[in-house]
Amino acid sequence: MGRGLSATRAAAAALGLLALGWAGAALAHNIGGTDAAFVAATRGPDPIPFMYLGAKHMVTGYDHLLFLVGVIFFLCRLSQVALYVSLFSLGHSITLLAGVFFDIHADPHLVDAVIGLSVAYKAFENLGGFRIVFGVQPDPRAAVLGFGLIHGFGLATKLQALNLNPEGLLANLIAFNVGVEIGQFLALALILAAMSLWRRTSMFGSTAAGANVMLMLAGFVLAGHQLAGYIFGGAAS
Amino acid sequence: MSEPNRSSPPNAPMRRGRLVAATLGSLALAALIVLGAILPAEFNRDPLGLGRLSGLSRLWAPEDRLVGGEAAGVARAREYDAPFRTDVIEIPLGDFLAGADRSELEYKVRMRKDATLIYSWEVVGTDEPRDFHFDQHGHTTPKPGEAMTVATHRQAFGLKQHGALTAPFDGIQGWQFSNSSEKPVVVKLRLAGFYELIPPGQAGNEAGVIANVPADRARPR
Repeated sequence: MGRGLSATRAAAAALGLLALGWAGAALAHNIGGTDAAFVAATRGPDPIPFMYLGAKHMVTGYDHLLFLVGVIFFLCRLSQVALYVSLFSLGHSITLLAGVFFDIHADPHLVDAVIGLSVAYKAFENLGGFRIVFGVQPDPRAAVLGFGLIHGFGLATKLQALNLNPEGLLANLIAFNVGVEIGQFLALALILAAMSLWRRTSMFGSTAAGANVMLMLAGFVLAGHQLAGYIFGGAAS
Repeated sequence: MSEPNRSSPPNAPMRRGRLVAATLGSLALAALIVLGAILPAEFNRDPLGLGRLSGLSRLWAPEDRLVGGEAAGVARAREYDAPFRTDVIEIPLGDFLAGADRSELEYKVRMRKDATLIYSWEVVGTDEPRDFHFDQHGHTTPKPGEAMTVATHRQAFGLKQHGALTAPFDGIQGWQFSNSSEKPVVVKLRLAGFYELIPPGQAGNEAGVIANVPADRARPR
């Protein structure tokens, strides 16, 4: 066993990640209830509430958070973290703004399914899967940027599902996007803190691979859940 | 070993076979979770039968869709102080040769605004719907000099009508029945709800129809 998957410890450490994935699968991840009513009632620019909604969506969006965990899993230096997170932000900002502003529509379930797969992809990449199994290594920066574009589309579909008023749309969109970045920053701070604590322990080496396998599992479950939503319809997402 | 990019694990990764097994294993486990747990619990599908076995299927419940409790400003569920009553009115109508006096009449009941009347009537004596016309309507009973509010509910040929009416205002609601067949007929009208019968001779029952008696005694000359 040794270095790769020390079964029990890996399982224990990764259980948290799995729980995250499950919660993500079970939790409705739409902007709903009174928030939706608020958005529908808004006319004209209203930046602070939209910023809050963006941050809330990010912090409670398990699919985005799991992807972030995957992205920074093996990034030790802060400059590296900054580079990758900026690429991710760039990607999702482009599609969030463009998707809503130019009214580009995509099926939310399919987009969310690809977002689930992005989590699995990142975990597989972390495991060195592309190098070891296929003998190639796609540029991880390009992958993060590309999946950032997909995640942004996911954010866009959530906003499009609401009755956005064209009055002040751009200002509210940008506010929402800024909120997303704030939420991402807050979540990232927590994830980074937890990761560096974990890295310092002796068990990191033996649990890292297992955790990424669990991450991959969570990604597949998320994708499966969304595909089921696409096939069978229904509001659960 | 050089380090071409820092996002790949710095530690020795898994061996190929183990990695493939872990990937396929997580894919299979994910499929099991989705098919065995998420589909039964969230989508009411149970392809593996595990939802029933585990009881997860019981988690699924259809989404509630709330419907407004009002229709046209009136609560769908209503309560009344007025007494509930039911009546059967048999209205004899002469053939069209008997003249308008005998072959057509108006029968209404008095209702408060938003009160409910359940009605069911049919014509006995002819099978030809084109021979019988009804005009279901209501109006207020204004004092001299006041305007009258009128509501027309339905004007049609036909031999029966079953339904419910919510009074749009304080006033009288009912029917003008016209028999144009060559035979005398009887309209059997059943009413239930919150209304008052109009005494014979008053507005709405000028023809003097008596309720709850057989047709041959309902219209004394």
